[in-house]
Amino acid sequence: MKKLVFDPDLCTGCRACELACSFINEGVFSPSKSRIRVVKFDREGIDVPVGCEHCENAPCMAVCPVKAIYRDETYAVVLDPDVCIGCKRCMIVCPFGAIGFDEGKRMFFKCDLCRGDPECVKWCFTKAVSYSDSLEVSNAKRIKAAKKEATAQILARELR
Amino acid sequence: MMEKLYAYAGKTLKVDLTREKIVKEPLDKTLARRFLGGRGLNGKLLFDLVGPKVEPLSPDNVFLMATGPINGLLGLTTGRIDVTSLSPLTGIFGNSNAGTNFAPELKYAGYDNIVVFGRAKKPVYLLIEDDHVELRDASDLAGTGVFETTDVLKERHNDAKVAAIGRAAENGVLYGCVIFDYWDAAGRSGMGTVMASKNLKAICVNGTGTIEVADPDRYYEVARDGWLALMNDFGFKTQEHPVLGTAVCVGWGNAQGWLPTRNFRESYFEGADAISGEEFRDRFSVKASPIPAGRACMSCPNRCKRFGIIRTGKYAGTRGNIEFEAIAAFGSKCGVSDFDAVFHANMIANDYGMDAVSCGNMIATFMELREEGIIDDKFLDGLDLRFGNADAMVEAIHRIANREGKIGELGALGSYLATKAISEKATYYTSNIKGMDSIACDPRAAKGFGFAFAVASRGSDHLRAHPVFEMIKLPPEIGKELFASPEAVDLRKYGGKPEMVAWHEEIAAITDSIGSCRFMHASYYTQYPVPELIHKHFKLKGEVHSVKYHEWISAATGWNISYDELLRIGKRIITVERAFNVRRGIRRKDDTLPERFFKDKIPKGPAKGEVYSKKIFNKMIDRYYELRGWDIETGLIKKETLEALELQDVLQVLSKEKLVV
Repeated sequence: MKKLVFDPDLCTGCRACELACSFINEGVFSPSKSRIRVVKFDREGIDVPVGCEHCENAPCMAVCPVKAIYRDETYAVVLDPDVCIGCKRCMIVCPFGAIGFDEGKRMFFKCDLCRGDPECVKWCFTKAVSYSDSLEVSNAKRIKAAKKEATAQILARELR
Repeated sequence: MMEKLYAYAGKTLKVDLTREKIVKEPLDKTLARRFLGGRGLNGKLLFDLVGPKVEPLSPDNVFLMATGPINGLLGLTTGRIDVTSLSPLTGIFGNSNAGTNFAPELKYAGYDNIVVFGRAKKPVYLLIEDDHVELRDASDLAGTGVFETTDVLKERHNDAKVAAIGRAAENGVLYGCVIFDYWDAAGRSGMGTVMASKNLKAICVNGTGTIEVADPDRYYEVARDGWLALMNDFGFKTQEHPVLGTAVCVGWGNAQGWLPTRNFRESYFEGADAISGEEFRDRFSVKASPIPAGRACMSCPNRCKRFGIIRTGKYAGTRGNIEFEAIAAFGSKCGVSDFDAVFHANMIANDYGMDAVSCGNMIATFMELREEGIIDDKFLDGLDLRFGNADAMVEAIHRIANREGKIGELGALGSYLATKAISEKATYYTSNIKGMDSIACDPRAAKGFGFAFAVASRGSDHLRAHPVFEMIKLPPEIGKELFASPEAVDLRKYGGKPEMVAWHEEIAAITDSIGSCRFMHASYYTQYPVPELIHKHFKLKGEVHSVKYHEWISAATGWNISYDELLRIGKRIITVERAFNVRRGIRRKDDTLPERFFKDKIPKGPAKGEVYSKKIFNKMIDRYYELRGWDIETGLIKKETLEALELQDVLQVLSKEKLVV
């Protein structure tokens, strides 16, 4: 199943994803209304994109007393603000801090993968945020790691 | 009901440090419409608030920080902030621009700009958290470096965006800078020193607000088109600049023969490979993905900031961003090819909060003066400042920042005032124009750049125009169509250069004022009408994408600005800066190059034998003044020009002082 995959090694910290997200979902530019956030560690030059992981066993979904959070047909974990009673339990329980609160509207919000066409991905030039199948990403990473090991083995063999 | 101001935050923050008073006012809409924001807005405020008798480091000077209408929006680079004041280094218009996350944050907090008056009794910092704004005691931070100050304030205030000054500015080094979040400097012209004179150690901001645009659908379309213009740009497609950062210019400048070497004696550095962008990528870069990611300003796909770490050796642990200008200042200009030392020099200059360009130029000048026998080792407190001596260079930075000994005393003044204090003969060896030393491009080898240095409003400076147009081998037909001369695309030739520089200056004034970046229209040529001309010339198929600042601003603000009006606003901004400088005594005689560039031929390298012809230069100035509507004899602004640009109030002030022709 496809989800947003975040790669801090590719992230430049430009935050275009935050702006694209708040614009598409709220019609304004405001990182505090974005479903995806980039946490910057400027002294060390590290940028970490953080957002909803659409967990298999989503604690937000489990903790919601009124079933306002559910999984939709794109496999996204979504929040229905019309059902939500505002108890904030999902916000507290989420290990990624991925559930936001709009002070003005007094409403909770979270990533819904833009119904299968996430806007943030369209503006991420380095593909630090991608809409991919996590299984495929994991396979690619395994092969990449193994390649390094294989290269070492080949070198070692030649030296023998 | 008042007309809603879209794209702006809508408020100005006025801070009187003497009276410890903070006032929030609505942003002046007329000013915003006429000057957009950023540099344009700041320039006009400076003209209005700082008269010709004010001393730069007195409480009467004002410190200005401004964002523009596209800061914090989605689009092709929206993170640049403008800092303006009367410069302590040059005594004229002082101004610097930095790529940050600070500018958007300030707007999300609800403020377009900050105007700082007076002087605090003791060190303070300004804390902005949305509506809550206060001055806090900074006694515990006085004398600490930029890094520690930023660490402390981020920890204390919920990871706020921080603009801080360091020890150099506090010690009175005239080129102290304002550093945003550790690495991003509003470096030139001593803006940090002005902050220090006001006892303002830092500004911290946290903002959670929202910015709306006038026409969201149109805005999305225009922003996307600009984005695609970059993706389709020939230069961007090579990915050289994104992958190597501005350091790409080390190799490029050397190959084209404009990399200043040994304080502008030469323009080709034999050790350039050792301090190149490739070397940085291979040795220091921390993000080693297939496309080294680098770091970016707000909403920028170009990510030109390179972050690196020195892992072994004497300078192990050194880290940070380094830009081309700093590499050239501490590297080729000082004849140093030890990249570890250059990188380290850059980091300590950042921590001291000192402009790397002016600092490197100062040290390079000392080196040449020593070589010429004008000063000796004794004068230099025993420091062996030979060209190429990396250890002595690093030591000199510490002494300047801490103002130790003769080097510290004179070095703090910058190369112009320091050489003036040494002797008349010594001034030949500074690259300054109007008191500002030159960046890393030899005017003799790049005639357009050289011309831009001479006419720039903050003293020698390439960023008022940034006419890379002449360096990227565009077809001559495009030069002819845009600037009436095929020579405009040839960096060694003079033809069309006044026109080219003037156009670049106008667009640059716009991007500095809206909060976007020079690189999008004058490194990459995504600015209308250049992509259209390239498309036509090469008979390319498909749709043309270009950045149309007029449409971008219009969609964001709801104003209807045409391309012609865009250029007119650019002219207006430049003219106000000129008006400020005219009141400070700037005339035609000051719009010139250092004598060395007219007299000494480049001795070796790809630009061997090049020199700037004074005769042609004078004609170019005539032409430039004609384009600007300034008086050819004096360099004063003509009355009709001020009227045409609707600058009646400026005209009134200048008329009273008999400074109009």
